[in-house]
Amino acid sequence: MNRRSFFKLSWGTVGVGALVSALGVSFAAILRFLKPNVFYEPPQAFKIGTPGDFPFGAPTFLVEEKIFIFRDREKGFSAASAVCTHLGCTVAHFQSDQKFHCPCHGSVFGADGAAQHGPAPRALDWFEVTLARDGQLRVDKDKVVPSSYRLMV
Amino acid sequence: MNLFREIWQSIVRRDPLSTDKGKSELVFLNVWLHIHPAKVKKENMKFRHSFYLGFITFFLFLILVTTGIVLMVYYRPFPPQAYQDMKDLEFVVFMGPFLRGMHRWAAHGMVVCVFLHMCRVFYTGSYKKPRQFNWVVGVFLFLLTLGLSFTGYLLPWDQLAYWAITVGSNIGSYAPLVGGQLREWLLGGHSVGEAALVRFYVLHVAVLPAAMILFTIVHFWRVRKDGGLSRPIWKLAPPKAAPLVTIGAPAASAAPLKASAASSTKTYGLMEVVTGKPIFETITPEEEEDTVFSYPYAFVREAVALMVTVTGIMMMSLFFHAPLEELANPAKTPNPAKAPWYFLGLQELVSHSAMLGGVVAPALMVLALLAIPYIDRNPSRRPSDRKWAIWLFTLFVVINLVLIVVGTFFRGPGWALVPPWVHVVGGAE
Ligand code: HEM
Ligand code: FES
Repeated sequence: MNRRSFFKLSWGTVGVGALVSALGVSFAAILRFLKPNVFYEPPQAFKIGTPGDFPFGAPTFLVEEKIFIFRDREKGFSAASAVCTHLGCTVAHFQSDQKFHCPCHGSVFGADGAAQHGPAPRALDWFEVTLARDGQLRVDKDKVVPSSYRLMV
Repeated sequence: MNLFREIWQSIVRRDPLSTDKGKSELVFLNVWLHIHPAKVKKENMKFRHSFYLGFITFFLFLILVTTGIVLMVYYRPFPPQAYQDMKDLEFVVFMGPFLRGMHRWAAHGMVVCVFLHMCRVFYTGSYKKPRQFNWVVGVFLFLLTLGLSFTGYLLPWDQLAYWAITVGSNIGSYAPLVGGQLREWLLGGHSVGEAALVRFYVLHVAVLPAAMILFTIVHFWRVRKDGGLSRPIWKLAPPKAAPLVTIGAPAASAAPLKASAASSTKTYGLMEVVTGKPIFETITPEEEEDTVFSYPYAFVREAVALMVTVTGIMMMSLFFHAPLEELANPAKTPNPAKAPWYFLGLQELVSHSAMLGGVVAPALMVLALLAIPYIDRNPSRRPSDRKWAIWLFTLFVVINLVLIVVGTFFRGPGWALVPPWVHVVGGAE
């Protein structure tokens, strides 16, 4: 390779490299731009009312939060996610068989949330329930707990 | 009078259409028409060759752009106004239901026609050399069509829309590594909400249509540059052994070309002389006789296809309304919740395994479609030479159809198998 073609090649490489990296950086910036920094969504931890608001027996379904609140006479409070682990439809709790049924592709979850039937790959989540200082129940959806978790009040 | 003539001439600048020169100039002096050749092969204009499906798909796209722009005037992409605007279109806006209907039926029609067009291209073997790349462009057009339909499906913000998109976008989150990110990126949140509606709206009215237009331009350009539509060569009369005419410099040993005086009545222009064989399919001088001027033959046929398409969609819209269910309710999943019909095959697979049915199978399907022209090395387009290819593709089409039919008609509450003639009252609880 002579001097002339060496320069031609190296300037060419520098030029193409600069163009590609400029385009790459701009494109990456656009992708990053599309990812929100703040989600204006309901908080993951929230208060749901006092223990007395919840009946024994059939679970209470909280519409906005998409959770079931169970209150058991001996064992206490627990909160189950109503979001199907398959593709996110909202499951219904049937009193007849004490199971959760998903309307979308027919997944069935047992009383403890375990996936029993259908395409759901894993059990429904159970969330931590605590008692806040002001006497209200507080659910934290970021804290997943075993299905045996209960809050005694 | 002369002034009018002069104005008209300044616009069209061609000879009268009664002359062959005028007919050619009509095509190549006009930026919109010059994607056509000045003359087309008779064989290619036959309805039975292409069923004009590519054209019909394109015309449906034109209807969608037109009606879509009008709809935009009355639509605000925020929940719950989006839904109210739909109600306004249904009950308040002049001819609102008709407009919605046109947009909706043209969208469904486009999905159907693009698929049929793809089948026609496959069965005629038109993806073979030199058209391999145009098939690939076509696959992208197919995916863009689905993407436009899917993003449009959310916009009414009714129960149907909300849950179809919830299920559909959750499928994406099963993609290994990037799944969760992908969903967050598409929805701008963790569930289908305000941010998702704006994002889908932007994709639906700006990003995807722009991409569609760009790819369509490449697609049409390529149809032309690949030598027009493929023809069933085996049916045509075999070309007589015509003496090969070589344009270019004579070989060193040959006698130099004899120069003759240029005619004083013609204008000559030499564009460029390059050597080598053209990549596109060329026609022989005999075949040349088998061509006619695009004006009027091809243009009239295309205009008829346009009219039939527009009239068909108008009739549909007069008699059938686009569906609108109640306002989206994130708490209450309708039972059964179904994706748009063209994704019901996918949903059927997903009802068995989300990872296999929702990610692996569709990814393989798209890759296989893209690879077809490069896998199928058999150069013949004659059906009897390609039994295997035809069988395999037919299998692919039938499997897709069966899955869609099962998903659409045979799935009841809880995704249980319920034949369509059994009427389920209320569903479970
Ligand atoms: C928005 C979607 C599409 C539009 C508007 C479109 C339009 C067209 C048009 C107008 C033609 C010319 C003749 C005809 O009517 O067949 C054509 C030909 C062709 N299309 Fe498409 N097309 C689309 C999608 C596709 C798809 C999905 C494929 C395949 C995967 C495809 C592959 C081809 C090929 C290979 C040709 C050349 C056919 C031949 O030479 O016989 N196109 N297309
Ligand atoms: S979303 Fe529940 S079974 Fe598919």
